[in-house]
Amino acid sequence: MLKTISIRLFTSLLVILGSLVLVFVIVYLLPGDPVLSMVDPSTVTPEVLASLRAQLGVDRPLYEQFGSYVSKVLQGDFGKSIVNDEPVLPKIITHLPATLALTAASCFIAAVVGIWLGVLSAIHRDRWIDITARVVGLFGISMPTFWSGILLILIFSITLDWFPAMGSEGWKTLVLPAVGLGIVGAGFVVRLVRNSMLEVINEPFIVTLRAKGVAEKLVMYRHALRNALIPALTMIGVLSGELLAGTVVIETVFSRQGIGRVISDALMAKDLPVVQGVVFFSAIMYVIINLIVDLSYRMIDPRVRRSQ
Amino acid sequence: MLKKRNNWKTIIALTTALVLVLSGCAGTNKASNTDKNASPAATTDAATAAAPAKGGELTYALATSPDTLDPHRSGLAVAVRAIRTIHDNLVAQLPDGTIQPWLATEWAVSEDGLSYTFKLRQDVKFHDGTPFNAEAVKYNYDRILNPETKAANSAALIRPYKSADVIDEFTVKLNLETPSNAFLGNLSQALVSIVSPTAAQKYGDQLGKNPVGTGPFKFVSWEENSQITVERNPDYKWAPPLVANQEAPYLDKVIFKIAPEEATRIGSVQSGQVLAGETIPPQNILALEKDEKLQLFKSNTQGLPYTLFINENKAPWNELKARQALQAAIDVDAIVKTLYLGTYDRAWSPLTPGTFGYDKSLEGGVKPDLDKANALLDELGYVKGADGVRAKDGKKLTLHYVDGSPNREKRNDIAAIIQQQLKQIGIAVEVEITKDVRTVVYENGNYDIYGNSQVNSDPEALRSFYHSGAVSVGANQNLPGFKNAEVDGWIDQGLIEKDETKRQELYAKVQQAIIEQAVIIPIYVFPYTIAASKTVKDIKFDSLAYPLFNDAFIQK
Amino acid sequence: MKETAVAKTAWPRTRAMRRSAPRTAKLNVSNLLVYAAGFVVIFIVLCALMPGQIAPYSPTEMVMTDIMLPPSLTHFFGTDYYGRDVFSVVVYGSRDSLLIGLASVLIGGLLGASIGALSGFLGGIFDTVIMGFIEVLMTIPGILFALAIAAAMGPSLFNVVLAVALSAVPGYARVFRGQIISVKGRPFITAARSVGAGNLRIFFRHVLPNAWSPLLVMATIGLGTSILIGSGLSFLGLGVIKEIPDWGTLLSQGRGYLTVAWWMSTFPGLAITMLVLSVNLMGDKLRDHIDPKKSRF
Repeated sequence: MLKTISIRLFTSLLVILGSLVLVFVIVYLLPGDPVLSMVDPSTVTPEVLASLRAQLGVDRPLYEQFGSYVSKVLQGDFGKSIVNDEPVLPKIITHLPATLALTAASCFIAAVVGIWLGVLSAIHRDRWIDITARVVGLFGISMPTFWSGILLILIFSITLDWFPAMGSEGWKTLVLPAVGLGIVGAGFVVRLVRNSMLEVINEPFIVTLRAKGVAEKLVMYRHALRNALIPALTMIGVLSGELLAGTVVIETVFSRQGIGRVISDALMAKDLPVVQGVVFFSAIMYVIINLIVDLSYRMIDPRVRRSQ
Repeated sequence: MLKKRNNWKTIIALTTALVLVLSGCAGTNKASNTDKNASPAATTDAATAAAPAKGGELTYALATSPDTLDPHRSGLAVAVRAIRTIHDNLVAQLPDGTIQPWLATEWAVSEDGLSYTFKLRQDVKFHDGTPFNAEAVKYNYDRILNPETKAANSAALIRPYKSADVIDEFTVKLNLETPSNAFLGNLSQALVSIVSPTAAQKYGDQLGKNPVGTGPFKFVSWEENSQITVERNPDYKWAPPLVANQEAPYLDKVIFKIAPEEATRIGSVQSGQVLAGETIPPQNILALEKDEKLQLFKSNTQGLPYTLFINENKAPWNELKARQALQAAIDVDAIVKTLYLGTYDRAWSPLTPGTFGYDKSLEGGVKPDLDKANALLDELGYVKGADGVRAKDGKKLTLHYVDGSPNREKRNDIAAIIQQQLKQIGIAVEVEITKDVRTVVYENGNYDIYGNSQVNSDPEALRSFYHSGAVSVGANQNLPGFKNAEVDGWIDQGLIEKDETKRQELYAKVQQAIIEQAVIIPIYVFPYTIAASKTVKDIKFDSLAYPLFNDAFIQK
Repeated sequence: MKETAVAKTAWPRTRAMRRSAPRTAKLNVSNLLVYAAGFVVIFIVLCALMPGQIAPYSPTEMVMTDIMLPPSLTHFFGTDYYGRDVFSVVVYGSRDSLLIGLASVLIGGLLGASIGALSGFLGGIFDTVIMGFIEVLMTIPGILFALAIAAAMGPSLFNVVLAVALSAVPGYARVFRGQIISVKGRPFITAARSVGAGNLRIFFRHVLPNAWSPLLVMATIGLGTSILIGSGLSFLGLGVIKEIPDWGTLLSQGRGYLTVAWWMSTFPGLAITMLVLSVNLMGDKLRDHIDPKKSRF
């Protein structure tokens, strides 16, 4: 077990380093000059431009920039935003909690709604309930998130005034964006749970349980669902990544603080240190989530556990 | 035990506050009901009879995220909304263009126009207690020149400032490289406002997150992408003549909420979640005017209107007739009416109406005339082909129209309409919407038409766009690729001409020449708009249409 | 449900076997839905193929006196702020919307599948390196990747397709590699090897035909995802701006008018949702039908 984990940790480190290199190259390839995005190009003088470039170090060759970046990161220095000199690490730490809260809340909504609809639709396979549950679930993944977000605001904030339309303080501001993002996740979970439930329902042990006269509800929720959740669990890693990406749009619609907005703004402004910092962190999160999924997989699935 | 008691105190205080807030809200509702017969769209100059009420927090939704609150480094208009509340300038510019005292009480300009001597107010203190004096002024302007500050737009504004001499504690002499009529006007702009030297030294490049000025409001906090809070500066008594209240502002706090999504921003104002929101799209302005609870504040911006520059360095637009054909074929009235629904004014000149030297005689001069446009293109030898597109020597008549993304002020939609309008005279318009205007336009000069606007306090702004010495595009041309010795001379003379009437005439000639030679198609004058609850009173504007909250109060 | 009771070998399934146990009458409701989905897709494809026959007006004709008219018999979906007929614009807009979906799925799928197939089939150090690289790509969420590419290359139709396609490559590669490896380990491959079949022959004749079905399902569903990512790019200001806009752009442009003229964004939005929903329903059905896991043991 320990060996597995340490190997995983080592490869994870390589993956994170790889993602840093990749992002560095991508952002470097973005056209345009980060310095020009800071000034009014119709009035700026060439001297001002040259001095800004030298100040920011963007006039140095690529490998030199990358080298100095990596060596600084190793010392815990993530650099400063080129737009306003804000240190990157505190910036990320400021924005991370709001995004984590949003991702967690929407994951929760996705799981609850998705599992419920998924089980319903598997039990009532090919009946009206199944169809309704599936179509409802699919609606979530068939609507552009910015549209459903705006509709949620129009209905639940502006018309009914139940929840605020913007901000990131308190649980109330979390509800609408989490629902907006959660219904996307729910769509995936419904499909996944339904399919794996259908698979499990026909396994011999379920047939045996039924034959033994165990109550159908117990069979379904206790035995079938538990086994059906295993493949669903592996999807959580992917799903949390998707939801994290979904925050890019949702955070803008709901005017929330968060990493998604930070990175999309930084990408547009070619703010390399910020983009790098965020990707570094999201890569770490991705790796951690997958590690956790991997480990919990071993715990939930009796077969994997026994084979240890 | 002590801790516990403190907790109790907090709870009581909070409860009291809550009760007060709630009763305040109730009062607010009543007030807005009685206010029904007031005019639906109150404008800035609408006089308010009610006595200003003290206290309250004004929540104000901004359209984008500010980059920094360091005035000397900022490049975004949205940042100036907050910067303006925290910082003051030496002088103020009134809407009629005159320069009035602010932190400076009086000034004298030397005969050669190369030095400005300012007498400063002696009772001004920065929010951190630092006294405001001649040293502070010198420190600020030198700071803008210092490359380490990474000053951007302010560096262009402060030109041709060279150095400052401290004459005595409250007298400072500013020395210029060359005389400039625009200098005083520029000194009134928020981007060259005065920051606390102590704070600037203490925070260094982090001043933008910890701004300290002498303004009516003190900076409290900035939660990035979420909100900026400023609170009343109780010691304030040096307000500019732009506002009525010379003392500390009435509001306890202004909370700028950052809400980039239009629907969210406007919806929040409509539902009362924020008291005010900025940059209201035309379709919502019309709806607001019918809303009994809401009002609209509006102020036209100064400087250069949104203008389409025709690139003369690209054939066939080097030909006057080709440009005149565009001028005759593009129906600006239809564009402005369709897209802005009568809420924006159409522009007629390279300058906006509020700007010094604006030539009113140009209004109504250019009229759409498809026959004339077709005739002009016929004369140039372009013949319509089977697909309706004109061609000459096998070369199709195309027009490369570049515009930026995102779709600010519906500018992309202007491109879409012009594409259809020019189709009628056989010009195929290729619209390129790019995120990277800077590369496409300013570095590569790859456009036939590109539109831009500039908020500015002086007609000297024309230089960067029409003087042949301005080479913002590819380091060899100005935006329209316009080279005209006469116009260059007028602009140069306008910068130093001391006689106001003569100066006005010079700029009138510049504007007429630009329109006569069809260098540009002026489209609209951008009004800065605020939608607010009717309980919000007396938001004023500076000459560049940035909001001032000195007089603002919330009616209880 | 009955069909799974029939024991099956791990031998390649045939069309006949798949149909061996027809479902009971219960199925009809489900099938009805799939038929409805199919009808929607066919109608949208027809719109894309011959918009001139379906749209009552020209999609570019701006009647400046008729702006923002609500839906009526003359304008089914109303008119937009240019005075264009929204129905006609939506009909013509189906072209680019479908194109974004199809082209990016094709490019992304082919590229991803080739990488996955090579990696899975060859194995060894090649596999390790390629999958390491894919793993790196996976750490960056798809839309961010698309965002970076679109921001890098500018908002043209081709670039949006490329951005969406490339962002999907790691997903396809991973799934297909897994599939190839699982097929490679099945007894019939060993059998083929034992009778002396060469690598190429095994790959193309035996492995590939038995591995592509999950890819098909993934591609069907990916079609919907691609259209959605494309519209997300429009929202972030990186979408395609053309004379005749695609649905994502229409939805994104019209969203500011939702409270004033709801029809401008609602109909393009519904069009996207209906298309993606239908494609997803068909994808689900396809999966039910060909997923070999359904019939294991």
